[in-house]
Amino acid sequence: PPGPGGLVIPRAGLKQYTQPPDYSGIIIPERTKLKFVDKVPSVPKVRREPRQLRDIRGPSQEATDFTQGQYGILALGGGYLHWGHFEMIRLTIGRNMDPKTMFAIWRVPPPSKPVTRKSLGHRMGGGKGPIDHYVTAVKSGRLVVEIGGHCEFGEVEAFLTQVAKKLPFPATAISRDGLEQMRKEEEEKRLNNQNPWTFERVVTGNMLGMRKYLSPYDLKLKGRYWGKFFLKHRV
Amino acid sequence: KAMHFQRQKLMAVTEYLPPRPAIPPRCLPRQEETRQEENGYARLLRRQVEEAFRDNRMIAVCQYNYMPGEDVVMMRHYLRKHNIEVKFFLNEIVRPVLSQSKYKNLLPLFVGRNVLLVSRETKAKEMLRVLKGVPQINLLGACIDDTILSRKGVEYFARLPPLEAAQGQTVGALALLPSQTSSLLQRGSVYLTALLDQHIQRLRAAETESPAEPGPAQSSG
Repeated sequence: PPGPGGLVIPRAGLKQYTQPPDYSGIIIPERTKLKFVDKVPSVPKVRREPRQLRDIRGPSQEATDFTQGQYGILALGGGYLHWGHFEMIRLTIGRNMDPKTMFAIWRVPPPSKPVTRKSLGHRMGGGKGPIDHYVTAVKSGRLVVEIGGHCEFGEVEAFLTQVAKKLPFPATAISRDGLEQMRKEEEEKRLNNQNPWTFERVVTGNMLGMRKYLSPYDLKLKGRYWGKFFLKHRV
Repeated sequence: KAMHFQRQKLMAVTEYLPPRPAIPPRCLPRQEETRQEENGYARLLRRQVEEAFRDNRMIAVCQYNYMPGEDVVMMRHYLRKHNIEVKFFLNEIVRPVLSQSKYKNLLPLFVGRNVLLVSRETKAKEMLRVLKGVPQINLLGACIDDTILSRKGVEYFARLPPLEAAQGQTVGALALLPSQTSSLLQRGSVYLTALLDQHIQRLRAAETESPAEPGPAQSSG
């Protein structure tokens, strides 16, 4: 507290020692850096595939939880990752992490979906264009990479957010606790919503004939997803 | 992609409404945050302070200014010879301990840098002598046998004679009256003997003037 002249004399108090974190159960695998991913799969596809944008829509069913690592990048929207993104992730993480004490693993398969492009300047028509490059589809709620080892979230968060900003969909760096916290908050929001009218209720009961203006997928998506976007603020 | 207007309306209607308690939390009295769990180290230090206050008869609080290391060691050595220990305690630990024990009046002493000199025996004279030789430590106050003394009080205490002498003095003072009882009781007969002696002397003096009469006065004397 400041004295009569407004002077504050700094005093040393008792030092509170904090326990160092316990890394007992963590096994660091042999290859700690991210594996190189090919631009083109080893057996390139001959048949051109239809667009199938439903692999971007809605929540993800696979790779939603942590397996080996403690921190990772969570996708909050849908999108396609191509080889350039993979290289960027691999190099940034490889540059910023310590290969002796930390390890990283891919939670996303290498590109396998062919994307066609017509050459520039041509009119419409003349068939489907040739295969240009390969991509992987990522739905919202999916983990892209996982980081683990003898490290704290604070150290890792820095370069993970750096990577997350460069991805084509919105993403965040997240830890195991952070993910649990997010899910808990969502659950709480759903339970203590004061609004008696929820999207789910309206759709399942087809109130006011709303299903005329909504898609049959909205039964599952319940108003939280719109195309590739994940609407976080909605209940 | 653009939403149909009906869909937009539906989204606006089905938005999340957060719960609103009847009394907003900022009108309620502020709830004190739960105390952080006590440091085991702090508990240990507190126990040590309590022990020091319980075990020792003489506790002196001194102001401690910067002293070079060797001087500290020499001072400790001299005081250790007289069985006085030098203890450092942090104020923020000592203050709560004191405020809950009976030593509340020592609280104003524990401000700023201070040292505690504790001992089982009350050797105030030697302590003062050592502290006089070390100008960087100033005695602020002491608690000797559960009596709080200021700096002057300690000096007076040091000038008191040692315990045996004081005990001897009190015994002598107390024994003064009983020693007089025997003389009191004998006073009557002593007075009588003195009077008779005087009488004899007067008779003898009268005798020397007339030596012809020895006598029956002697036998009666």
